Amino acid sequence: MSEPLLRLKHASLGYGEQPILTGVDVEVQPGSFIGILGHNGSGKTTLLKTILNLIPCLKGQCVWQGATPDSLRFGYVPQKEKLDPIYPLSAFDVAAMGTYHRFALRIKNKAFIHRCLADCGAAHLTDKRYSDLSGGQKQRVLIARALAAEPQILTLDEPLAGIDITTQKAVLKLLKHLKEERGLTILMVSHRIQAEKGLFTHIVWCDEGKVISGPTPEMLANSKLAEVFKTEL
Amino acid sequence: MSTFLQILRPDFLLHHALYGSVMVGFVCPLVGIYFLLRRLVFWGIALPQVSTAGIAFAFMLQGLGFHVLSGSGNQEKHLAIISSFLFTGLAILILAILERRGKGISEGRIGVLYALSWAGSILFVAWNAAGETEMLGLLKGEIVSISERDFHAMLDVFGIITACMFFFRKEFLLVSYDRDMAITLGRNVLGWDILLYFIVGLTISLGVMTVGPLVIFGFLVIPPMAALPWARGIISFSLLASFCGGLSAFTGFYVSYTRDLPLGPVIVCVACGVLCISMLTHSIGCRVKKQALLVLDHVAPHQ
Repeated sequence: MSEPLLRLKHASLGYGEQPILTGVDVEVQPGSFIGILGHNGSGKTTLLKTILNLIPCLKGQCVWQGATPDSLRFGYVPQKEKLDPIYPLSAFDVAAMGTYHRFALRIKNKAFIHRCLADCGAAHLTDKRYSDLSGGQKQRVLIARALAAEPQILTLDEPLAGIDITTQKAVLKLLKHLKEERGLTILMVSHRIQAEKGLFTHIVWCDEGKVISGPTPEMLANSKLAEVFKTEL
Repeated sequence: MSTFLQILRPDFLLHHALYGSVMVGFVCPLVGIYFLLRRLVFWGIALPQVSTAGIAFAFMLQGLGFHVLSGSGNQEKHLAIISSFLFTGLAILILAILERRGKGISEGRIGVLYALSWAGSILFVAWNAAGETEMLGLLKGEIVSISERDFHAMLDVFGIITACMFFFRKEFLLVSYDRDMAITLGRNVLGWDILLYFIVGLTISLGVMTVGPLVIFGFLVIPPMAALPWARGIISFSLLASFCGGLSAFTGFYVSYTRDLPLGPVIVCVACGVLCISMLTHSIGCRVKKQALLVLDHVAPHQ
């Protein structure tokens, strides 16, 4: 087994002094597709934010490959509702934000952003106003933005929320394609599993302040979780 | 027409006042767009008032005999700008810290700050009757007294502010639009926020000293609102808002000069006129476009 990209060791996660998850042990292996699952309010997004170093661990450790979070490049796809529609931005402008960490030549950058949009099936949306796009189109643009950051780890927070079944399938197909073509490591927060379980190599299950994680077949075979996955998610 | 040409001539008596107000009209909306985008419009009401309280405080100190910068009237003015900047900076710092903590009601805090600043301004003036005339002029937005030296200093500062707003537009946009993304890209969000707030504080304190709190609030909010429906990106938004501000300031000055009306309120009314025209033409444009699409669809439904 290769060295993990990041590892949470006996970590307590939460905001301020209030832990939401305790005793968290999670490893992210290169090339894995990890589903972070759980009910609403179970701490899925808190776990993701800790991995992204947006909030610190309250206890324990988060160890990144290369020692600091800056040594790993993350692509981040937030919940689309979090982005304010008042901004007069085109899909291209939004995708371009992914390149704001580097000072590449403008022309090279432009071509690169167009390629990222095209890779996500959003080339035809380039000049459209982002706030006017449908849920699925927004999701594609946000994934293109994350790809523009040339990430080692692509993180997605509830990318299937609020979009229809057909579009959900298209987004999942896109993620599968990106994983296979680019060898990306993907972390995806979701509160459902039916459509995705074939994609996930690992599952992280958050419930009642605790986290259980492991390879998907092992997790699905877990008698306690199997019932939950079958009925509730 | 002759009056119009007269005010454009370099030897026009009030040319510094004209250039000063147009400059504020161009620069304030560049900062104001972030108030609108970050949904902090009420900051735009409260901060100019805080800045005014800072100026009143400086005049009060002078009146009470505390000559921190002793000497000419110019130095009194400089003290007023420094005091205004410190008051505004402190208010921004407090509001930003409370905003980051995310507790309490944001609008409530701004309301309290606004009321306190108004009360403070009146009390500071009450303790220094000599400053009353100057404060009244400030509230009305009279800038006839701007000197050559002050004008050039203002030109330099506003030039630097404009350059910062354009050079750092990507950073300001990113930290305003998606803070989490900015952090994952390794951006120093706090650092960029501090720079933006510093620029906001500087623009407001200089602007209030030049054209008064009413006009500054107007320039921070109205031109960006007029520009928003037409904007196609942050650059076009900045340029359009800036153009609307400059146009309103120039037209307002012209009307104020020819009709002998107070400058500040006239500029704000003109800016509101620009906003109405923008909204109306945009709404008509959208309807026409919709109708045209319907007609096209009717003519060639399968294309």
